[in-house]
Amino acid sequence: MTTIKEYHNNISPNWCPGCGHFSVLRALQVAAVKLQIPNEKLTVVSGIGCSGRFSGYVNAYSFHGIHGRSLPIAQGIKVANKELTVVAAGGDGDGFAIGLSHTLHAIRRNINITYLVLNNQIYGLTKGHTSPLSDIGTQTKSTPTGSLETPIKPGIIALANGISFLAQGFSVYQEQLVNIIIKAIQHDGFSMVNIFSPCVTYNKTNTYQWFRKHLVNLEEVQGYQTENFETAMNKLIETDGLCTGVVYQNSNSTSYLNKLSQNGLTPAMDTSLPLTRGDFEEIINLYR
Amino acid sequence: MKKSISLLIGGVQGEGIISTGINLMKALSSLGYYTYGGRSFSSRIKGGNTSITVHIGIECKMWINDEVDIIFAFDNDTIYKYAHLIHKNGLIFYDSILTPELHRNDKDNIKFVPLPISEMAKNNGVEIIKNTCAMGFLGYLLGITRETLHEVTIKRFKQKGLEIIKNNINVLKDVYQYSEKNLKAYNTFTLTPTSIVKRPLMTGNDAISLGALMAGCRFIASYPITPASEIMENLGKLLPKYGGTMIQVEDEIAAVNMIIGGSYGGVRSMTATSGPGISLMMEGIGLAGMTETPIVIINSQRVGPSTGLPTKHEQSDLFTLYFGGHGEYPSIILTPSTVEECFNATIRGFNLAETYQCPVIILSDLALSLTPQTIEALDFSKVEINRGKIYTPTESDEYKRYQLTNDYISYRALPGTRGGIHHTTGLEHNEMGLPTDDPLNRKKMMNKRFKKIEPLQLGEEIIIHKNNSHVLVLSFGSTYGVIKGAMKSIKTPVDFGFIQMIKPLPIKQLQGIIESYKHIIIVENNYCKQFATILKSELGNHDKIHSLIKYDGTPFTLKEIITEIGGWVN
Repeated sequence: MTTIKEYHNNISPNWCPGCGHFSVLRALQVAAVKLQIPNEKLTVVSGIGCSGRFSGYVNAYSFHGIHGRSLPIAQGIKVANKELTVVAAGGDGDGFAIGLSHTLHAIRRNINITYLVLNNQIYGLTKGHTSPLSDIGTQTKSTPTGSLETPIKPGIIALANGISFLAQGFSVYQEQLVNIIIKAIQHDGFSMVNIFSPCVTYNKTNTYQWFRKHLVNLEEVQGYQTENFETAMNKLIETDGLCTGVVYQNSNSTSYLNKLSQNGLTPAMDTSLPLTRGDFEEIINLYR
Repeated sequence: MKKSISLLIGGVQGEGIISTGINLMKALSSLGYYTYGGRSFSSRIKGGNTSITVHIGIECKMWINDEVDIIFAFDNDTIYKYAHLIHKNGLIFYDSILTPELHRNDKDNIKFVPLPISEMAKNNGVEIIKNTCAMGFLGYLLGITRETLHEVTIKRFKQKGLEIIKNNINVLKDVYQYSEKNLKAYNTFTLTPTSIVKRPLMTGNDAISLGALMAGCRFIASYPITPASEIMENLGKLLPKYGGTMIQVEDEIAAVNMIIGGSYGGVRSMTATSGPGISLMMEGIGLAGMTETPIVIINSQRVGPSTGLPTKHEQSDLFTLYFGGHGEYPSIILTPSTVEECFNATIRGFNLAETYQCPVIILSDLALSLTPQTIEALDFSKVEINRGKIYTPTESDEYKRYQLTNDYISYRALPGTRGGIHHTTGLEHNEMGLPTDDPLNRKKMMNKRFKKIEPLQLGEEIIIHKNNSHVLVLSFGSTYGVIKGAMKSIKTPVDFGFIQMIKPLPIKQLQGIIESYKHIIIVENNYCKQFATILKSELGNHDKIHSLIKYDGTPFTLKEIITEIGGWVN
């Protein structure tokens, strides 16, 4: 029986008091306990930024890589050992600026990992610079007259790109967030959870209060069907992406590695398969 | 009867010119001859002139002659571009639909012989059959039996169906009948018979792929790039049969990070790329160095910087890899010089990566990676796998991923291992793997990472052919082949050799070498004398170390080496 205590590693996060990331960290730990994943079977990967420290605070195998590249590392780990539960975590810069291409390709590739976006619409660790998810007009050190660029809409591009599981959460809505993360981990394919995790130091616009006021809880929307792509897309447009809950799930999704298995291939990295002299000769004969 | 022949086959790119050459080489290799094929191609798929120069002989040669005995032209461009290469008494065969009159005066004694290639091809179905037709003519001239070519043809078209095989066999029949009637006069090109040994025909990229498979590599993430793509293509076919996966990723940054994940996850993982990809991978290579994650990267060099000459040969990524990446971290650079060495170096590379827990680069070059050549059988019994220090749980000890040990190498715990949970980070970290900026710890960890590979400096990595000279010609990569050829061709050859590991430099052996030679000439394909510069910076002795460089996109020719080295002979 794994308990929540076993998922703590007794390191105090270096996030600012009040940072949304604390609650996201707790939500992952609770979800892992509820799923009864043994600590050593969970691998958490993160990139750079405030969110980059995330992996260091979970008592699991954890990999803190380089900026924007948590998803390639996480996919590599899963390919190497599909028995592991692999969770990548990253901020809005990681996933939608420097690493945007990896996000889109991880969605296409549909390797069975879970991606937690710790979205605070600002660069915190560089001490307050604009993010590709910052609203137009957001004043930061790098946008003294307010951000001029249109923000990326993470939910819409993920859906448009064919994601098989998309959910959104708010760090404050713990119970919902835990449930969403559980569903995301259970999904057979690439699952993304875009989590509004307010930065109390540098983002004075998208505050806790602001989110409470604007977020629509999809679980309270009568008749909302998570399997319907069109409804999901419309809902994201209608709420300007400000909604929480499972937005879309394709339950028929088959992950990359399972697709390979269905084709009779052995993606599981079984290094116990030795090549015999006969195999070797057979390959050499291709060149004769 | 000839002991060796050089021929050039040229035509329009995309019309199977290269495969004509390669099929002929395969046939000859299975008869016991040695072949070596230099390719010239441009960065386009259809159109443009392409050619392959094939050396055939009863002895192994790893270079292309400056002159050729036979030119086989499928287009006018081939004659225009290459007629000056023809040896006196050489022959230019051309498709009879061409009009090569304009170039008749190129040299005396050159005979132009039209062959009804297109015509025969048309009579036997499809245009593409021209290639089989050409192979037939060449086969006849070299004295290969029609039956042997049948065998090759059947093997080649096995998957295309009986109809296609039949057409190709028929065209061979026509070719041999025509040749018996009309080409008897040219039987001077018949090859000296040799004992039949069925040798494989491989490129460096083929041998690297096979080496990786045999080394237990089960994951490759790569982005297509000339001249490295074949490695991912080969492994994409081979790996799934043996429990492995190839993924074509979105870019080289994804590739290097994905294999870091794969290797951290417990599977031998690699990527294959060329210069532009290496530039993109540098940050990831540093991450592998910092986190002590074993990875293997194949870099098949081409002409840079930027897009440079993407289909041409150069050896100019050495500085980047030797010094490169921000900050300082250990890495190993292996430099195979022959196709056989590509196989061995790749296996060794995986063992070194896991033993020393750092990135290993196998540095190939375009000529080595892409040149098909007859090779001796690769040695199955040489395949040994050493996975280095991998943690297995014990009751008592507290696991420390970066424990300071006598040999500076710590046990790696693979995810999923009970008791081995740890944090891995690109930040400086302590023995537990946790971030810290403590100066004392920083110093200890820097020492650990660098000292662990120091024993490699004591190895014997330079292979020397002795000719009792006070001059040594030293090279890395494919350049060795032509140097070997030059030394065989001159009366008083000097000592020559190649280095198989450039980083860490085999300092001990090099110090001995510096002492025992008056002059060391470093031969390399780059402008900045990269290898020579590294040697000078590590060894001093600037007055003893000399350079022979070439940076026009083509490998050294035999003549160039002979002329340049000639002055050093006495």
